[in-house]
Amino acid sequence: MTTSNSDMDRTVAAMDDEQLPVPKHRLHGPGHFLGLYGAEHVAATEFVIGAAFVAMGATIGDILIGLLIGNTLAALSFWLITARIAVKTRLSLYTYLDQNMGDKFSRFYNGANVLIFVAISAAMITVSATAVRALFDIPPQVYPYPTNLYFALIAASASVIAVTVAYYGFNVVAEFATICTPWLMVMFTAGGMVLIPALNETLTGYTTLGGFSEFVSLAGTTVFTGINSDGEPGIGLIEVIGFAWAANTFAHFGLIDMVLLRYAKKPIYGLCTATGMMFGHYIAWISAALMGAATASIMKLSIAVVSPGDVAYYALGATGFVIVVIAGWTTANPNLYRAGLAAQAVFPKIPRQKITLMVGAVVVVGSCFPFIYRSILPILAYAGLVLVAAGGIVFAEQIVFPKLGYKTYWYRLSGVKDNVPALITWGVCLVFGFVLNFINIMPFVYLFLPTWVLSIILYTVLAKKAGADKSYPEAEKEMEEFNASVEKHHAKLAAEEGTAHVKDTRALSRGIRAVWMVIGLLVPAILAWRVLFNSPDLYAYYVNREMFYDLTIWCTLIYFVFAWWDLQRSKSLQNKPEAPVSSGEESYAS
Amino acid sequence: MKRLLKTGLATAIVAASLSLHAAAETITIATVNNGDMIRMQKLTDDFKKDNPGIELNWVTLDENQLRQRVTTDIATKGGQFDVATIGMYEAPIWAERGWLAPLDDLPADYDVNDILPPIREGLSFDGTLYAAPFYGESSFTMYRTDLFEKAGLEMPDEPTWDFIKDAAGKLADKSNEVYGICLRGKPGWGENMAFLTAMANSYGARWFDMDWKPQLDSDAWKATLTDYVELMQAVGPPDASANGYNENLALFQAGKCAIWIDATAAGQFVTNADSTVADSVGFALAPGKGLGKRANWLWAWSLAVPASSNNVAAAKKFVAWATSKQYLELVASKEGWANVPPGTRSSLYANAEYQKTPFAKAALASIESADPNKPTVEEVPYRGIQFVAIPEFQSIGTAVGQRFAEALAGNIPVDEALDNAEWVTEKVIARTRVLEKDL
Repeated sequence: MTTSNSDMDRTVAAMDDEQLPVPKHRLHGPGHFLGLYGAEHVAATEFVIGAAFVAMGATIGDILIGLLIGNTLAALSFWLITARIAVKTRLSLYTYLDQNMGDKFSRFYNGANVLIFVAISAAMITVSATAVRALFDIPPQVYPYPTNLYFALIAASASVIAVTVAYYGFNVVAEFATICTPWLMVMFTAGGMVLIPALNETLTGYTTLGGFSEFVSLAGTTVFTGINSDGEPGIGLIEVIGFAWAANTFAHFGLIDMVLLRYAKKPIYGLCTATGMMFGHYIAWISAALMGAATASIMKLSIAVVSPGDVAYYALGATGFVIVVIAGWTTANPNLYRAGLAAQAVFPKIPRQKITLMVGAVVVVGSCFPFIYRSILPILAYAGLVLVAAGGIVFAEQIVFPKLGYKTYWYRLSGVKDNVPALITWGVCLVFGFVLNFINIMPFVYLFLPTWVLSIILYTVLAKKAGADKSYPEAEKEMEEFNASVEKHHAKLAAEEGTAHVKDTRALSRGIRAVWMVIGLLVPAILAWRVLFNSPDLYAYYVNREMFYDLTIWCTLIYFVFAWWDLQRSKSLQNKPEAPVSSGEESYAS
Repeated sequence: MKRLLKTGLATAIVAASLSLHAAAETITIATVNNGDMIRMQKLTDDFKKDNPGIELNWVTLDENQLRQRVTTDIATKGGQFDVATIGMYEAPIWAERGWLAPLDDLPADYDVNDILPPIREGLSFDGTLYAAPFYGESSFTMYRTDLFEKAGLEMPDEPTWDFIKDAAGKLADKSNEVYGICLRGKPGWGENMAFLTAMANSYGARWFDMDWKPQLDSDAWKATLTDYVELMQAVGPPDASANGYNENLALFQAGKCAIWIDATAAGQFVTNADSTVADSVGFALAPGKGLGKRANWLWAWSLAVPASSNNVAAAKKFVAWATSKQYLELVASKEGWANVPPGTRSSLYANAEYQKTPFAKAALASIESADPNKPTVEEVPYRGIQFVAIPEFQSIGTAVGQRFAEALAGNIPVDEALDNAEWVTEKVIARTRVLEKDL
C-alpha cells in the first residue's frame, strides 16, 4: 500500500516531535554542549563516587592518571560512537528502538530502564536525606539497612515529596536544575579547598602545604592510600580507568546520550562531553574524595559509611545541607520522571499517573536503604552492562551494515512484527556479560567491552539471516517519501520558529547577572581560596572557615534568587515559547 | 689483542665504578640549625672513616621549618629523610603511630642505660627507645654578672619573677642597645609557646583542667601573658616577636641582653669564644612565683629514623655514632669538654672535667627538677612541661603561639589574644573529646 504525498505530509505534521529527527534549525554549536555536559555530570552522585574510590583503595597516582585516562576514553567514546550515530540519525535512542526494534524489545528495554532509574532516584533521595539526618542529629546510618526509625521516616518523606514534585512540578524542578550547575561547580571545588587544611592538620598538625608534591603526599597518605575499607590492597590503575570509563557506559556505548547529542551540528562536538568528564568526573570526584576523607577523619568513621550529608556539612557548613538536598533532588527528579515514563511504556494500558505513583512507591522503600546509594558506582557499571547491547545493535545497524551492504532499517522495511535478532542478541549478551562476571575473568567494569563487541557481531549475523541483506524496493521508496515529507515539515517549522535566539542585554538583566556571578560564585570562591592559602595556623583556619561558612550560605541564597530571576527574564524575552527544558530524558545520575 | 685488552679494561673500569656506585648509600639527615648540630656536621669525617659506604646529605633548617617539613614528610611517608631531628613531644606520639623505626638494636657498647632516665623515658614508647638523644636540656636563667655587679644587684640561685622583672628594669640601657631581658617571641609551639607554657606553669596556670576544659582564660594565664608582654615591651629588644632561640643567643653573645631565660644547652655558647661576654655570664635556675613550680622545661633534640626510610640500617648506624659516648669524647678532644652536647648521659655529669664548666651544675639541677609527669601547680590530665603530650597540641600550640606573638608585637591586646587562644583550643578539644574516648 502506498500513501499520497499530501497524506504523508499530514501524517508527519501530526507526529510528535520526539518521533521525528531533530530539524536543522534546532541544532546547536559546541558552546551548548560544553555547558550542557558540565551541568550533566556535577551531581549528588559525585559525593558518593569520590568516596567510593577511596573506599575501594585506589592510590593517588592511579587516581590522578587513571581518571584522566578513563575520562578521556569516555569523551572519545562519546565522540566516536554516540555523537556519530546521534548526528546520523538525529533521533533519541528510545525513538530509534521504538521504530526499529519492535514493541517487545522496547518493552524489555524500558523495563530495564525502570529498574535502573528507580535505583538512581532512590539513591539520590537517600543522599538528600543524609543531610536532613545531620540537621536532626540522627545517628549516622552505617549499615546497608536503616537502623533508625526517624531516618527511615525522613528518607520516605523526602521520597514522597520528590514523587509528588515529579508528578506535578517536574518542569519547575528541571528548570531549577539548569541554574544549579555553576554553583555546584564552585561548591564542589570550594568544599575540597576548605577541608584540605583540616585534613593536613589532623595528620601533621599543620594547616599549610609546601606545594603540589606535598598535596599529593597528603592525599596519598590520608585519602587515596591504596588500602581499601577492609584493610586490604585496593584497586589498581586498570580498575580506576575502567570505573571512569564505565561510569557512563549506558550513555556512550549504550547510546542513551543520543538524546542530547542528536542536536549536535557535527559529531566532533561529542568531545564537548570532556567538560563533564574532566570537571565532574575528575575534579569533583577528587574533591569529593578529599572532603569525604577529611570528614571521615574528623568523625573517626570509615569513609565507606560517611554520608554525603556529613561530608557536605563539614566542608561547606549550612551550605552543605543545601548542596546535598539540591544536588540530590535535581538528580532524583528527572530520573524518577524517566522511570515513570519507561514504566508507562512497559505497561501502556495503566494510566501514567497511576504507574508513576507505583514506581514512586518502590522509590520510597528503596530510599530507606543506604546500601543503594553506597553502591551507586557498581550500579552504574552494571546498568551499562545491561544496556550496552542495545548500543551495540544500533552501532551495527548504523555503522557496520552500510559497510556490508545491508539495509540499516531492514526491520521497518521488512515489516516483520518483532526484531527477533535484536531480542536474541540482547538476551545472549546479558547471559554472556553476567557469566563473565560470575567466572570473574576480568574486572567487571570492563565487561561492557566484550559484551558490546559480541552484540555487534551476533546481531550482524542474525540480522543477515532475518533479511537485512535483502532489498525492499517498495518500502524503501515509501521511506524516502517519508524522509522528504520530514524535510518539508522541518522547513516549515524553521520558517515559523526562526533561528535567532534573542540575547538579553538589558541593563537590569546585566545587573542581575553580575549579582549572581559576583556574589553567588566569585565571593564563595575567594573565601574558599583564603581558607586554603591564607590559613597559616589553626586559629586563622577556623576564622577563615567560619567566615566562609557564614557568608557562603547568604551568597547561595542570593545566587538562586538572582539566577532564577535572570532565567525567567531571559525566557520572557524570547519571541516564542521555550521548548520544554527537559523531556525527562535529558538528565541522569553522574 | 690490544683492542681486546682495551675493551676488557674499559669493561672492568665501568663495572668497578658501577659496583662502587651501587655500594655507596646516601642518607639524608634533617636537622635544626642549632650550634651543636652544626658542629656535628663538621665532625662527620670520623663517621665516614668507619663507614666508607655511607654518604651524608644534610638538610639544615630553622626550628619551625624543620618541624613542619619533618612532620609532613614522616606523616605522609614521603621518604625524603633517613634521619630526622625530633624531640620528646614527637617521639612517643609518632612511635605509637608507627612512623618511626624502633632503636632496639643499637650496638652493645652504646650503653642505653647511661642515658638520663627522664630523657630516655620521654623518647620511648612502650618501653622501646624510638629516638636517641643528641643533646638534652632544661631551661635556666643566664645573666650578665658585670652588669649585675655594676647595678649593685645579686642574682639569687633560685630567682623569682618579681626579682627578674625588677632587675631587668634596672639593667636596661636601650640607648646603648643593652636590653633588660631577652625572651623567646617567635611564634611556634616549640618557640614562644615552649617558653610561655613553662612560665605559665610557674604562675600556677595550666592548659587544661582534669575534664580537658581549656584554661587559657584563667587569671593565671592572664597574669603570665600580661607580665611577659609588659616586660618585653618595656625592656626587651625591638621586634621581639621575631626572636627565637638562635636570635636571642646571638643578642646575648653580642652583649645586648642583661638577662636571658632559655635552654640550658645555650650555656656552652654564651661562654665560649663566640661570645663577647663569655667571662661575664652567670647561671641560675629558671624563675618561679613561689608556687612550687619553676619555669624550666625538659627537652631533648634527638635523632630518629623514619619508618619510611629506605636506608634504615645505615641511618641507625649514623644515629648510634652521633649520640654515642664516643662522640662526646670526640667533641671533647677537638673543642674541649665544655662544648660537648649536654644533657643526655649520666656519665657526662660524673666527668670531673665537665663538672668544671660554669653551667654544668645549674643545668643538671634544672634537668633533674623538671618533672613531665607533674608539670603544673594544679593537677592536670596530661604529661609534658612546655607542651601537652597529645597529638593535637602541635596545631593548638602553633595557633596560640601566633596569637601571643601578635600580643607581644602590640597588634592585639592581651585579653583578645587569650580569648582567641581559648576559642581555638576549645574548638580542637571539643572535636577531639567527641572522637577520643580517653579525652
